[in-house]
Amino acid sequence: MINSNIITMVRKELIDAARDKRSVMAGLYYAIGTPLLMCAMFMLLIGQMTSPEDLNIKIENGNNAPDLVKYLSSKGITDGDNHNTNDQGEQLDIKDIRLVISDDYAAQMAKGMSAEVTLISDNSNEKLQNSIRRLERNLQTYSAEMGSLRLIARGIDPRVVQPLKVNVEDEATPDSKGGVILGVATMTMIYAVFISGMNLAIDTSAGERERNSLALLLSHPVSTRNIVLAKVIAVTVFAMIGLLLTLIISKISYAFVPWHELGFTVSISTEFILLMLLVGLPIALMAASLQLFVSFMAKSFKEAQSYLTLVLIVPMMLSMAASYNIAPDTLQWLPVSGQQQALIAFIKGREIPMLQLLLSSLTTLIIAIGLTLGMEKSLKSEKIVFGL
Amino acid sequence: MHHGQQMGADSLLSHIRHRRVPVTRLISALVITGLVMSLPALADDTVSGTPKESDQNSCYLDGLSEQLTCGYITVPENATKPDGKQIQIHYAVLPAIKSSGHSEALLAIAGGPGQSAMDNAAFFNRTFSKVRQQRDILLIDQRGTGRSNILNCKGEGFENALAINEADLDTTKETQACLDNLGNSDITQYGSLNALKDFEAVRQHLDYKKLHIYGISYGTRMAQLYMRHYPQVLSTVTIDGVVPMQQNVLAIGQAISRAFDLLLQNCADNALCNNQFPQLRAELEAVDAKLTIAPIVTQVRDPLTGESTQLTMTRAKFMGAIRMALYSSSIRALLPHAIHQAANDNFQPIMGLYALNLDSTGIAMGMHASVVCGEDWQRMTPSEREEINSTYFGQEMIKGFEQSCSVWNMPAVDESFSAPISSDIPTLVLSGQVDPATPPSWGELAMEKLTNAKHFVAPYATHGVAAQSCGNDLIAQLVETGGVSDLDGECLNKDVRRNFYLNASTVEAIPVNNSKQAVEQGDSHD
Repeated sequence: MINSNIITMVRKELIDAARDKRSVMAGLYYAIGTPLLMCAMFMLLIGQMTSPEDLNIKIENGNNAPDLVKYLSSKGITDGDNHNTNDQGEQLDIKDIRLVISDDYAAQMAKGMSAEVTLISDNSNEKLQNSIRRLERNLQTYSAEMGSLRLIARGIDPRVVQPLKVNVEDEATPDSKGGVILGVATMTMIYAVFISGMNLAIDTSAGERERNSLALLLSHPVSTRNIVLAKVIAVTVFAMIGLLLTLIISKISYAFVPWHELGFTVSISTEFILLMLLVGLPIALMAASLQLFVSFMAKSFKEAQSYLTLVLIVPMMLSMAASYNIAPDTLQWLPVSGQQQALIAFIKGREIPMLQLLLSSLTTLIIAIGLTLGMEKSLKSEKIVFGL
Repeated sequence: MHHGQQMGADSLLSHIRHRRVPVTRLISALVITGLVMSLPALADDTVSGTPKESDQNSCYLDGLSEQLTCGYITVPENATKPDGKQIQIHYAVLPAIKSSGHSEALLAIAGGPGQSAMDNAAFFNRTFSKVRQQRDILLIDQRGTGRSNILNCKGEGFENALAINEADLDTTKETQACLDNLGNSDITQYGSLNALKDFEAVRQHLDYKKLHIYGISYGTRMAQLYMRHYPQVLSTVTIDGVVPMQQNVLAIGQAISRAFDLLLQNCADNALCNNQFPQLRAELEAVDAKLTIAPIVTQVRDPLTGESTQLTMTRAKFMGAIRMALYSSSIRALLPHAIHQAANDNFQPIMGLYALNLDSTGIAMGMHASVVCGEDWQRMTPSEREEINSTYFGQEMIKGFEQSCSVWNMPAVDESFSAPISSDIPTLVLSGQVDPATPPSWGELAMEKLTNAKHFVAPYATHGVAAQSCGNDLIAQLVETGGVSDLDGECLNKDVRRNFYLNASTVEAIPVNNSKQAVEQGDSHD
């Protein structure tokens, strides 16, 4: 099937593509930029998610409950109003959380009743979530400790108010905990396949037609099928190079993110890279034929660009749905999302759903072949060739 | 019954101590309670489940929801009889969060002697969360404890511990019964030195090139022995609540008396406490004197079941309950109130405190006896004996061990055992100023021949500094930098004390007109 004719033409397409700085750079930008952006994003996220060592809030009426204030302080939660600068004289970051201790706090406590404290904050502010939870948690432990000691003082074993002992056995492994993050990352990797070849696909179809070289090419004594195949292969090669680059950059850059602060690790193993390349190949073929097909259908270079942007949303949606586990049962049989779910399963150390993977890969290939055949047929029409 | 109690105790402890104060601490306290309240402690029967058989590699430990790695090595009980009885030494690994190789681990050694490190995995995990980001935490059940051929003793009279008068119990008989029960184990093989060889065998089995060691309480003795016998495999050492090799652990009576004094002093120095309990020392002495003459027998409700039962408040129960409460800074805060109430013939708070420790020991008393009888009892000099006998707890201890060690009949360790540790391994020595077991002077003694060590005394800490204030951060820093020169103990000065309870409900100042109001309200209810 693949004869020297095709090889010559693929080489021609690739040389052409390499000459076109724009399509090369587009692929590179994505492949290099996305993993780095992801890393930067995660680093920021981790900084926000982990509560700072010292949490400064505003405590009002603190002199009513010196023991509580001291307890919170021993847990790193301090009243920011008392000292607005730290030891080095830097301005403290005081979170917008207020803890108001009621006026009758001490009196209620002395009587053995519940003493009121009020936590005032904007709960919709996501940056505060962890700090609020940390404060709530510590207030609860303090309350539980006071309660236990009140019981002891009355000669009662505090165990009587703990009728259940709940044991939690989490079957997650350190790898699978990181899998949530990698699930999102696989989306960007699969997307690399679509992005990296896109400019080349437009250039070699709509672009070539606009430059009037397509008719010239078709007038040569090569079959239309070979021309189409050569274009598909060239775009696929570009897509795969983009994917490989994304993987390599990810492997290196992810190692610099302080994942351990979240309690797990994210590492991209060589096995994952190999599987990703293998699984990515049919997707790349489909992406290439799809992009070429759509570009040929468009009347101009510009039109092709707008169409493709719309078309790209489809795999994006599928991929996102898989990442966020929306309707996973149906999606695991569909192209792109099926492969992605298999990849996520692999990352999380679960068994790879082979049937689903094979079937979705097969569907992907069939779509690719169908589009290629469609292109071959359409290139026999003058309407397409001359963009009429 | 015993299983339930053990689990209950754990949840109770974590409840009260807000998952911070170590079970370890409480248990290592019992090093001696085993002797003070000799039988209740002897009556311990811990859970000794092996890791789940289905999967040798992954397991769950109490209080931790995540999967850990568990395993064991098989060693001869007696190294000179390699073909004789074989025992399993179980270990657990809390894997490093960041999987950066596998060449180093922090070995955390539990106290007691007789405590299981694996049963306290949640405590160690919490304390060493920073260390664990980069390094594995290794926990080993020392031979005779936990899952490693535990030497346990069941005692009689445990069910009605509240009613019993400890003076009526026959320690010799109980100890003999325990020994008979352990018939197929050679109890002489359960001293620290044999256990040390097990530790080293586990290290080699797991192929750790270097270890960082953390020992708490009795665990500091194991850590020091590690420094003496295998210095080449140690990167850093932390000893926390130190029992120096030169120190006979039986001399703890002085440390306990010192902690009692510090409690009374702290209350006197605190305006609120002093105002509420101006006669605290006199009250304590009065109750003690009264109970020395005869126990007080009353009807009470069982702290746990609520059923009516008899309480025989003895001197041992009273002093023991106070002593144990001194191990935790939060429970310690209740003591002035409890003593004051006892002086007014209300023993409810004392009974509540006593009940806390009834079954939460987790100490394998057989292994405990093997260690103390072989390594401390026999080396006691006449002058030491006289000194120990000068305190109440010392007398009780000598009385108890006199009887149990004569049954246990351990061969004495070599005299060189008591030599100070001479080492240049980076060593962090931690002591708590108000520690009721291992006073700061013991930490000082351990420093004698340590050339690369720093000793910090945490002013507000009780036994086990790592979990109090910033002790754990200091350890993480030591492990990270591999040296003690940059360590700064300033952060230990943060006041983490709790206010003293002023009545049965509050730690905050009682408003002046409060008592009057309460009476009025009470009236209106009638």
